[in-house]
Amino acid sequence: MNRRNKIGAGVGRQLAVLAALLAVSGTASAGLYNDGKVLATGGVSMTDGAGGGGITPWATITGYETRDGINADLHYTYVHLPNYDLNSGGIAIGFFDRVELSYTNDSLPTGNTYDTVGLLTTTVNNLLTVGSTPANTLNTGIEPFNTTVRMNVFGAKIRLFGEAIYDSDNLIPQVAIGGFYKINNNKLLLKTLGADKSKDFEAYVSVTKIFFPLSTLINLTGRYTSANQTGLVGFGGPDGNHRSFRFEGSIAYLLNKGTAIGAEYQMHSDKLHNVNLNILGLTANTGNALLDPILNTVTGSTLRQRESDWRDAFIAFFPSKNLSITMAYAMLGNIVLSPHQDGYYISLQASF
Amino acid sequence: MKAIRLSLTLAAATTLMLAAAQPAVAAQDPTGGKQTTYPGIPSSSLEKFGGEAGVAVWVDDLFYYILADNRINQIFLTHGKVKRQIALNKELEQMVLGGPVTYEGASMSAAHSDMGITLTQFNAVVEDAYLACDLARTPYTVCNQLIAALAPFERSIVTR
Ligand code: HEM
Repeated sequence: MNRRNKIGAGVGRQLAVLAALLAVSGTASAGLYNDGKVLATGGVSMTDGAGGGGITPWATITGYETRDGINADLHYTYVHLPNYDLNSGGIAIGFFDRVELSYTNDSLPTGNTYDTVGLLTTTVNNLLTVGSTPANTLNTGIEPFNTTVRMNVFGAKIRLFGEAIYDSDNLIPQVAIGGFYKINNNKLLLKTLGADKSKDFEAYVSVTKIFFPLSTLINLTGRYTSANQTGLVGFGGPDGNHRSFRFEGSIAYLLNKGTAIGAEYQMHSDKLHNVNLNILGLTANTGNALLDPILNTVTGSTLRQRESDWRDAFIAFFPSKNLSITMAYAMLGNIVLSPHQDGYYISLQASF
Repeated sequence: MKAIRLSLTLAAATTLMLAAAQPAVAAQDPTGGKQTTYPGIPSSSLEKFGGEAGVAVWVDDLFYYILADNRINQIFLTHGKVKRQIALNKELEQMVLGGPVTYEGASMSAAHSDMGITLTQFNAVVEDAYLACDLARTPYTVCNQLIAALAPFERSIVTR
């Protein structure tokens, strides 16, 4: 009990869970531990934590286990964009190359994106407190200089049929279905941004095939979702939480047995496209002679959100079955209020 | 009531999934000629592999790695047929790449049926096959033509 209290913070608890899992996988290693997949054929970890490419879940089951056992991986991804940094870390376990379970924690410090909004809110609050009753003050979930979006993602995947690797004499692909349950912890901010929900599920079907004569892998995914920016900006919009199928695709070319290059595409939401930030009453007429001119200026183009489809080009290195390193140039376009969010992506995966 | 219906649906879905999980293609044993792949193996493949001599070197290299591989070498040593396997593999690999050679050994299912070979052991051979390509300086893209031609044998060879 004492020791647990000392560990305290969430990170500590996660580490403890990981240590326990490692211990379990260590003791079970005699019978169930398996790393029999051919190098690189376990894929890497996508940002939601599932086995796949960088942003798209594949029909492959994560880890290096074959149908003979269990394997797991720890993954950490860092994306550096002009206005945001995404840190994503978690764990995934593959059971008998059939079922995959994953957990990932996304944390997105928003840099200076909301600083203006945060400062504005503070200013407005001050004015409102002076000018009228304090009850009218705004809470947007945005602190100037200090807003971090956090999301927990739980994932599961089951391979239905097909052998992406061994069925090279027919065109039947490997097919898997899976789902994510995503809990975004920034309810207030999402309300300000106009999203309908802060937690929701996503379901997907993925189809993967390796064409060995071409040294090429192709994956196509349909994801049933209402997520804005994968859920980092919540789910749905002012019209509600209407999920629909969105297309995603990856193509990877194997340069040698330990290196792959490729590109990905992921269709994104239009739920919040052109939706203005909804700072309580800001769009309405406050009747405050000081405020209204400011608001009219700001609620024009400045607070209008946009969302673009995501694209990336990557290179993945597999120096051993215990480590993969993926580097990508991510072209994420418009994110909320910031255009041109193109930047670098690096992802590490440790398998054991 | 709702809960019962939900669990029934879940049970039905699970059954369907397990049914779908069975091998989609009946095990076939194409040991009779050039392997059919998608897309097909180019007619230049055998030549790029170094022709008959190149395949022979590759098979020798493969068994060098197999016998050095502690994950699987005991299986090969206890069966004691390595010389015959090397000779027959030289035929088989030429044939599946489209060479004018007839393979005279047993079918893949007959040759491996009573050994209970696992997918993990099969993949160990695949990794040794890539190492043999490296040793023979066979380019990776050319090596993958042979990998494509041999991969479907998994359904006949892996019985566990
Ligand atoms: C695509 C992969 C493989 C190919 C192309 C292949 C090919 C062959 C061939 C041509 C033979 C000779 C058949 C005969 O004697 O008529 C053979 C026999 C044999 N193979 Fe394989 N094999 C493969 C995978 C494996 C694996 C994964 C193992 C074990 C880990 C294995 C173990 C053996 C053994 C022990 C024999 C001798 C059986 C006997 O006692 O006659 N093979 N294989």
